[in-house]
Amino acid sequence: MIPVLLILIPLLSGLVTFFLKDEKAAKSWSLLASVITLAVVFSGLFIYNHNNETTFDTEWLPNLGSRFSLALDGMGKMLTLLTAISFPVVFASTYKNSYKQSGSFYGLMLLTQAGLMGVFLASDALLFYFFWELALIPVYFLCSIWGGEKRIAVTFKFFIYTFIGSLLMLAGILFLYFQTADHSFAIKSLYNLHLSAKSQNTVFWLFFIAFAIKMPIFPLHTWQPDTYEQSPTAVTMILSGVMVKMGIFALIRWLIPIFPEAVANFSTVIIIFSIIGMIYASQIAIQQDDIKRLIAYSSIAHIGLMCAAIFAQNKIGLEGVMIQMFNHGINVIGLWIVADVIEQQLGTRKLSELGGLAQKAPTLAILLVVLSLANIALPLTNSFVGEFLMFIGLFQYNIWAAAIAGVSIILAAVYTLNMIQKIFYGNTVSLTDNAVDAKNNVQWILIVLVVVVIVLGVYPQPLINLTKDTVNTFFVNR
Amino acid sequence: MNWLPMLLDATESTAANYFPIGIQIIFAVGFVAFMIALSAWVGPKRKTSDKLESFTSGISTHGDARHPMAIKYFLVAILFVLFDVEVIFFYPYAVNFKSLGWGGFEAVLLFVAFFLVGFFYIIKKGALTWED
Amino acid sequence: MNAIILSALLGVVMMFASVFTENKIAIRNIAIFGLLILLASNLLNIYTPYSFNVDLHNMLRFDSFGLFFNSIAIVSTLLYVILSGSDIVKVGNYPAEYFALIFFVLCGVTILSSYNSLLMLFLGVEIMSIPLYILTGSDKKNLKSNEASLKYFLMGAFSTGIMLMGIALLYGASGNFNLEMIREKTSIAEFGILAPLGLLLIFISLAFKVSAAPFHFWTPDVYDGAPSVFTSFMATIVKTAGFIAFVKLFSLRMADLGPSYAIILPVIIIATLLVGNITAVFQQSVKRMLAYSSIAQAGFMLFALYTSNDLSTEGILLYAAAYSIATIGIFGILIKMKDYTFDGYNGLAKKQPLVAATNTVFLLSLAGIPLTAGFFAKYYMLASALKSNGSALWLVIVAVLFAAVSVYYYFRVIQAMYFKDGDAETTEIDGTFKFVLVVLALLIILIGINPSILLRWYYF
Repeated sequence: MIPVLLILIPLLSGLVTFFLKDEKAAKSWSLLASVITLAVVFSGLFIYNHNNETTFDTEWLPNLGSRFSLALDGMGKMLTLLTAISFPVVFASTYKNSYKQSGSFYGLMLLTQAGLMGVFLASDALLFYFFWELALIPVYFLCSIWGGEKRIAVTFKFFIYTFIGSLLMLAGILFLYFQTADHSFAIKSLYNLHLSAKSQNTVFWLFFIAFAIKMPIFPLHTWQPDTYEQSPTAVTMILSGVMVKMGIFALIRWLIPIFPEAVANFSTVIIIFSIIGMIYASQIAIQQDDIKRLIAYSSIAHIGLMCAAIFAQNKIGLEGVMIQMFNHGINVIGLWIVADVIEQQLGTRKLSELGGLAQKAPTLAILLVVLSLANIALPLTNSFVGEFLMFIGLFQYNIWAAAIAGVSIILAAVYTLNMIQKIFYGNTVSLTDNAVDAKNNVQWILIVLVVVVIVLGVYPQPLINLTKDTVNTFFVNR
Repeated sequence: MNWLPMLLDATESTAANYFPIGIQIIFAVGFVAFMIALSAWVGPKRKTSDKLESFTSGISTHGDARHPMAIKYFLVAILFVLFDVEVIFFYPYAVNFKSLGWGGFEAVLLFVAFFLVGFFYIIKKGALTWED
Repeated sequence: MNAIILSALLGVVMMFASVFTENKIAIRNIAIFGLLILLASNLLNIYTPYSFNVDLHNMLRFDSFGLFFNSIAIVSTLLYVILSGSDIVKVGNYPAEYFALIFFVLCGVTILSSYNSLLMLFLGVEIMSIPLYILTGSDKKNLKSNEASLKYFLMGAFSTGIMLMGIALLYGASGNFNLEMIREKTSIAEFGILAPLGLLLIFISLAFKVSAAPFHFWTPDVYDGAPSVFTSFMATIVKTAGFIAFVKLFSLRMADLGPSYAIILPVIIIATLLVGNITAVFQQSVKRMLAYSSIAQAGFMLFALYTSNDLSTEGILLYAAAYSIATIGIFGILIKMKDYTFDGYNGLAKKQPLVAATNTVFLLSLAGIPLTAGFFAKYYMLASALKSNGSALWLVIVAVLFAAVSVYYYFRVIQAMYFKDGDAETTEIDGTFKFVLVVLALLIILIGINPSILLRWYYF
């Protein structure tokens, strides 16, 4: 029952939220709902973690051979946990922001959460596709209604991009369905497929393009910086913290085990593209003046490394990806919170207009520095473990790939430290003269995040244990 | 004269087989042309203005054909055609009256009933009232 | 059989309704009542096959496919009349006659869903089309409406002529009008070019009726020129009926005609998708966009001809229902708008939140987003293609790419309603209208969650 609850709680509470006229009521209600979801995830991980409690399976579309089957396992556990943590964090940290028609805003946010949960839980390909779309539609409305000036065009581009991707995936899913022996969408049947090399090489790309757009991988990334910039920050946090993981998750669960030959054929190409993307995005991040765009490009670089490590196809790299998926979510949400605080207070996101904020907001400065160091994967922060493992994985695959990818770490240090310097140090400018420190709720949340960053940096074993199943089965299958 | 035996032996199909057809076409076209030319040459010719007018069953024409007239006239004309054509169906029925028996009678009654319903409809809608 | 006879009789009843009453509301209610009777009689037909004992000489055959489609068509018409009935009576001076013509169209539709002889196909197409020519021109003082009517009539007459020629050739090849007998008696070797040519001509003529490219040129002008209420009817019930006739004909004959249709149909599908989608992108008027979108949707429905398996049979029924319901809703709202351009919808969400929300559901369904009926409609079409032939994957990929294009123009309406500021002016919107909109939207979502709630009726 646990997986059903994880979808139903956000779904139903989201639908209720639409009818809440009062802003405060909508906020508290959705915060409450997301905290309950978090509690359910914990109970699923630690209390009710037997097989019959974490899986769910029932008839859905008998004519089409699709079942409503969900399973909370391996990587899914970690990502549902990440999703469940992110939403309360987002709601709490933006608690003071006010939105027009807040009922609809929070309702759509919760629907997004339901979609994300479904994506991470589904073990039936058609169901997976359904949730994949369900997670997209509310985000489209969120960005288009509450976003920045150029929101309509930008969000539309985002939507069309991802929609093309998911439709191609649908064509691929359908193709696989008719290849399975028992005509079913179940993930087990898909894993047991023995496709001809020719069809693998074609259908692989249908899936990969869909996932690559979502992640995004160079050169399909062009929607991402614009969308992150124009979306309301609460949505950006979800987009980059959780939604991006949909692509990586799907890559590991729905792509690589099904098309082993195609993966072997194309891994070099994809790793090359990933590395190009990393260097390219880091370069652009250095040039950025807008905090949001800077974080967006840095996110592309990190995702590129994860993609490359997945296609390096060794155990150590994959463990790194697992850890890093979670950690990247935590870190990037923290960075967005700081960006949001600055924008809400000072009304600008331009680095060139900021400076000397550390004198006025010392707590915020300390917290941001820790998060930024995590972003560059300094030892003792959580990212270090993940990135280190991924680089070892990449190194085992090809020494040159690891060497070139390593450049991106240096570049990451350049743009991240540059950001910190421009925001917090130097002399105050007119804009920051009257700045104050972050509000209490934001401070507490950032402190929690920083604690998580450091704890996981020192002791990442829980994450490795959580995702052990996935990593092991991944290599058993091959 | 070696085409004659070939003609009688129809198993072979060559261009020569079409020779009689060619002759016939030439003769037919030639005859028609000859007759037209002959009648034009021999026949009497009287040129009067009456002959250039359109034939209107003996009554002399007046006015322009594109003269505006009451739209109702068209409606009546269309309805006339409609009902007139439907009457045609009675002819085959009359011929087969006996062999169709009562079943045929019922069918014709149904037909007439629809017919009358339509008639009733156009009267009620005022399609036949000439004066407004 | 019930539906055919009763719809013709109800047409006569509606004609006479105008003789006895002038009250427009009463006339509309009579029509709604008539449709309910028609629906009941059609459902009765499913359980008791011969309510009217007529010797049909095997010219019509009532199978579950036809009867189920009749139900879809009648229910759609019913919803359409309840939703837009008050706008139908406003078109001109002859409210009752419009309903009478709609009933006559339904008579043609019911013949098309059950024909078993090419003669009946011809009769059905004609009975369906002729009242439409009149409905198209019913806004008598509007020049565009007149132009549309004439254009539609001329095009329709041509296509009918082509169809007759095709039927004649098929008759020449087989000596029979009966579909099954034709299938038995003709084969390419025996009759040379006659049978395939005959079928090709019928194909062209039906392609005219369903506006598949390159026979689509009349569609935008006619849909645009006709009064919007009747465009709604034309684009939904009539169009899907054309497809049902098409599927019935080609499900029997495809195999005999050799590989040529395996080439012709993909070309026509892609051409239709291309023309419909790409042209719709450039429209400024929502009404005209919908005309092109109906061409684009036809491209998807053509998949049912290409594949002809059990999935495509179910799929075309599902598509007919999903597409009709959504389009009726969108047109119902369009009729209420004072300005038919995209900008006319600006800010509708603020003024009429419920109307905008339901319109969004309809548009999402047409775009084929999951959780709406339109998704499963498209899904069935694509699945049937891949089921019949794995190498149809490339055709499926092309189709999904065009589906992504269609999102562009459907979402422009959503953008206008929700994200742009303006005061969308509407005529008066009453409670019934909103209620029916909600019913339509719920139907779409229910079918979208589980299409078998609709399709299980098919297996009765």
